[in-house]
Amino acid sequence: MSMLERVATAATMGTPDVVPCAPLVCGAAHRFSGQTYEEWSRCEDPEAMVAGGLAAIEYADMCGIVLLVDLTVEAGAFGCETIFPVMDTAHPNYDDPFIKGPGDYAKVKKINPRETGRMKGVLDQIAGYSKAIGETHAIVGFVYGSLGTLSMMRGPEAFFMDLVEHPDEVMGALEIMDDVLAEYAVAQKEAGAHAVCYDNLYASESILSKPLWRKFEGKGMLKVCDAIADSGALVVHHNCGNGIYFDELEKYGHPHAVSHAYVADDVDSWEEHKKKWGSKICTIGWMPPGPVAMLGNEEEIEEEVKAEMEIFKPGGGFIQSTGCEFPPNAPLKHAKMIVDAAKKYGVY
Amino acid sequence: MATAEKEKELIAGLRDAVINYKIADAKKLAEEAIKEGADAYKMTMEGLAGGMETVSEKFDNHEYFVPETLLCAKALYGALDVLKPHIKSDSGSKGQVVLGVMLGDVHDLGKNLIKAIFESAGWTVHDLGRDVPLKSFVEEQLRTDSDIVMLSAMMTTSMVGMKKLIPMIKEKNPNVKIMIGGAPISEKTVDDYGADTTADNAPNALREAMNMLESLRKGMVSA
Repeated sequence: MSMLERVATAATMGTPDVVPCAPLVCGAAHRFSGQTYEEWSRCEDPEAMVAGGLAAIEYADMCGIVLLVDLTVEAGAFGCETIFPVMDTAHPNYDDPFIKGPGDYAKVKKINPRETGRMKGVLDQIAGYSKAIGETHAIVGFVYGSLGTLSMMRGPEAFFMDLVEHPDEVMGALEIMDDVLAEYAVAQKEAGAHAVCYDNLYASESILSKPLWRKFEGKGMLKVCDAIADSGALVVHHNCGNGIYFDELEKYGHPHAVSHAYVADDVDSWEEHKKKWGSKICTIGWMPPGPVAMLGNEEEIEEEVKAEMEIFKPGGGFIQSTGCEFPPNAPLKHAKMIVDAAKKYGVY
Repeated sequence: MATAEKEKELIAGLRDAVINYKIADAKKLAEEAIKEGADAYKMTMEGLAGGMETVSEKFDNHEYFVPETLLCAKALYGALDVLKPHIKSDSGSKGQVVLGVMLGDVHDLGKNLIKAIFESAGWTVHDLGRDVPLKSFVEEQLRTDSDIVMLSAMMTTSMVGMKKLIPMIKEKNPNVKIMIGGAPISEKTVDDYGADTTADNAPNALREAMNMLESLRKGMVSA
C-alpha cells in the first residue's frame, strides 16, 4: 500500500497493512525550508514552505502533511492584526484587538478566501504538495472554526463573556464567517487536499458547556463539514481539549477521523474510548506533544507508541500521531522516532 | 454599623450575585454594605469568597464552564473594587503568590481565572501579566517575599523558558514553592524542570497552593 492508501483505509475505518503515522509536523517544518519561523509563518513563499514540508516528510518518512500554519491564518485574513515573533508561533495583537467591543462584531465582512491573506498562501501550498506527492501521500487541509477564529479577533476572555452577554452580535459575525470558511474548505479540496481538517477547539468540556457550544458552532460546523464532504474530501476534525464532545461532532460534523489528545467526555479511559467511539470514528493521535514527543527520549517515545498501538491498532481505524501539533521547537529526530516505532508496532 | 441580620442578608445577596453572575447586583450590594457600615472584610470573605467557592465546585462538577466562571469573576471584581478600600489593613492574607505567563506567550485566560479564584480565597496575588521576562518573576518574588511563584505556558516554545527560570528563582530563594501549569505541562515537566507541582485547573491550583503553604509554614515552625 502507498502512504496515501494506508491513510485513506484507516480514515474510513479499514485495516491497512500497517498503521499509518504522521506526527503533526507543521511549524517544525520551517527548519527544512531555509526560512526563519517568522518567514515561514508569513506564508509569503509557499514554494519554500512546500520544499521544507517535503524534506520533513522524507526525513521522518511520514504518511502525509497537515496544512496548519497557525491559528491566526483565518483571523488575519478577516482583518485581525497578527504578531509574528521570530522564533514563536504567530498570535493576534491582543493589545489592540480587531473587535474591541460588542458593536465591533459588525465589522466582520465577507472575504474571498481564494485571494485573501495567508488563506491564499495555504491554498498555494496545497497545490504545490498535490503536484509533488498528491498520488502517494495524504494532503490534509486545515480550517480553524469560526468560534475559535472570532475569539482570536476579540480576545478569548472578552469573547467568552460576550457569548452570554451579547449573543446576537456574536452570532451575526459567525454566520458571515461560516460561509467564508465553507468556501475556503472547498478551495482546499480543489487545490488538491484529500481531506480537510476542521478545528473545533471549544467543543470540549475544557471550555464551553455542550448547549452553549452547540448554539454557537453546531450549525456553522455542519455547514463547513457538509461543504467538505460534498466536495469529495474526507472530513477530519481536530480538538486537543479535554473531554471532547464526540456526540456533537458526530451530529454536526460527520467526521471520518478525529485528531485528538484526550478522550471523549462520555468515557473515562482510552480503552473505553476505543470501544465506544474508536469503532466508528478513526482516531488520529494521541501522543502528548510536550511531555513525550518533545521531552521524551527514544525509549519513552517507543513505549508510548507501543501502548497506544495496543489499544487502538486492533480492528483498524487508527492513525498514529501526536495529539496536537508536533512542538515547533522539538528535536525533529523525535518525529522520526515516532514513525519508526509505529513501523515496528503497527504491522497488521 | 449594620445589624447582624442586615449583614447576613448582605452576605447572602453577595454570594448569590457572584454565583449567578449578577454583575450590577454585586456592585450595588457592595455599595449598600459600605453605606450600612458592614464589615468589608466579612462581606468579602463570607459573601464574595463564599460565592466563588461554590463557583469552583460548579466548575469542578462541569456545571459551570469558562464563560460562566469568567462572568462570576466579573461580578466578584465589581463588588471587590467597592469593598477593598474599606478593608482594614490588618485583616490578613492567606498567602502571597507571584503569577504570570511565560515570555513569548500571550495566552492569559487560565492565569486570569487562577487570579480570580486566589483573590477571592483571600490570597494576595502579584499578577505580572503575560509575555513576562524571566527576571521579572525573580525580582517580583524577592520584592514581595511571596510564598509561591506560579508560571503559566500554553506553548512548548514558552514552556522551555521554565527550565531556565526555575533554578533562577530557587537560587535566590530556595524555600519558595513553584507551581507550573498550562496545556503542555505534565508531571514529567514538573520533575524535569525542578518545579514543585502542577494543576490542571484553577480550583485544583488553589488546593495545591494551600497544601504547599501548609508545608512551608510547618517547615518554618520546625526550623
